[in-house]
Amino acid sequence: MSTGDWLADRLGWTRVEAYLAKRSVPRHGFMFYVGGITLFLFLVQVASGVLLTLYYQPDAAQAHGSVERIVGEISYGDLVRAVHVWAGDLFVASLMLHMFIVMARRSFRAPQELTWLSGIALLALGVGEAFTGAVLPWSERACMDARVGSELALYVPLVGAWLRRLMRGGEDVTSNTLAHAFGFHVAALPAALTFVVAVHLFARSRNRAGSAGATDVPTIPLYPDFFVRLAVALTGVMVLVLTLAIFVERPIGPPADPRLSSALGLPPWYFLPMHAIVRAVPGELLGIDGPRFLVSAACVIGLAVVALPFIDRRGSRLTAWLAWIALLALILVSVRAIT
Amino acid sequence: MPANDDRKGVPRRDFLNVAVGGSAAALAVAGAYPVVRYLAPPPGRSKGVVRVGELERFPVGTVHTVLVDERPVLMVRTADRLRAFSAICTHLDCVVAYSAERRQIECPCHGGVYSLDGRNVAGPPPRPLEELTVTVDEGVVLVSPAG
Repeated sequence: MSTGDWLADRLGWTRVEAYLAKRSVPRHGFMFYVGGITLFLFLVQVASGVLLTLYYQPDAAQAHGSVERIVGEISYGDLVRAVHVWAGDLFVASLMLHMFIVMARRSFRAPQELTWLSGIALLALGVGEAFTGAVLPWSERACMDARVGSELALYVPLVGAWLRRLMRGGEDVTSNTLAHAFGFHVAALPAALTFVVAVHLFARSRNRAGSAGATDVPTIPLYPDFFVRLAVALTGVMVLVLTLAIFVERPIGPPADPRLSSALGLPPWYFLPMHAIVRAVPGELLGIDGPRFLVSAACVIGLAVVALPFIDRRGSRLTAWLAWIALLALILVSVRAIT
Repeated sequence: MPANDDRKGVPRRDFLNVAVGGSAAALAVAGAYPVVRYLAPPPGRSKGVVRVGELERFPVGTVHTVLVDERPVLMVRTADRLRAFSAICTHLDCVVAYSAERRQIECPCHGGVYSLDGRNVAGPPPRPLEELTVTVDEGVVLVSPAG
């Protein structure tokens, strides 16, 4: 008996294979693979992130230097950091794209409410990872984004003051902010993400039949057909991540100095719409603080998105249109902020 | 003994469900409360009066940034007095800077502008910069939080 046969026998592989082959999934285009791609990018982040913790120092005096050391001295450190930065951006992008696609396909309808809710939780956790991760190099830029991001959080109704203290590890942006960001970035948020991913996949697999509209779409077996296609898609994603990591530089920027004025420039791309709107809105709007008005509006929209399966029970065409219009508007506002 | 379906009052099963569920919920809340409080620390105590240096460090017509309790503070020296303003923008907490060219205080994040007496004159800032109390004691400049 070969080693492969022995392992297959001990694992009961033939039964697993038979079970997977019996399950089928609708045959869709690229959009059906975005969820799988997002999960894959999360795994890339876990792997590259664990490697980074081996040299990163979560201390205000040493953080910036330790990131420079990873990039400058450690063998392949520049590659590991660049993969983490790029795959992180792509992770957030694919989380958002995944949400818009589900909205547009109206796949949030009953019985997929739990899938939708856990998906929105994943989006929130993913953005939390991006926000805390951006703080860790403790550069000028990092400090400023931490300041503005947490100050905006102050305007969240009811829990604002608590949320700002949570994000800063105190009233102000200090060395404690970095310690907090590190703990959340490498421990609390990844643990929560792992748990919610499990809930998300479980909820999804339980109610496959009710999703994606019509039942007369052609299907393919989960294994090997779907897995092979997914493998091709993931290979493509890995090629994209490596290409970006090798050829497009992501500078660390100068270290933070609390006396220096905040750096000019732009926040990470996923904050660009908020940045552009914040800049354009005056100090007061309809008698309310400008930022308070904006953040409250964002919270209302956020709640509506969370409650979408309960507001739009049947999945109207309007929601699909709104999804594409919202995506287009966000892209246009972002482009305006850059140019 | 017959089944207790026809007895009056709450069935035993429902009572136990509520009692066990309620206890579990109470335990969860009791466990979560300290964690929620732990996550967001209370405001730290201010150190009170902070010494920022000799008066000669701040010549007439200059603006310097110093740190008071880890927070940036603008020391504005004009012909008649020395004033201290928190260098934190009242809009969204960025650190502002003095522009010698335009003789004004500017916030790079969202384009806020303050005059040298701390008033918000342009852009989104809703309030003037917070002013701190400056005292000069035998040539040494002391800054203390306002109020």
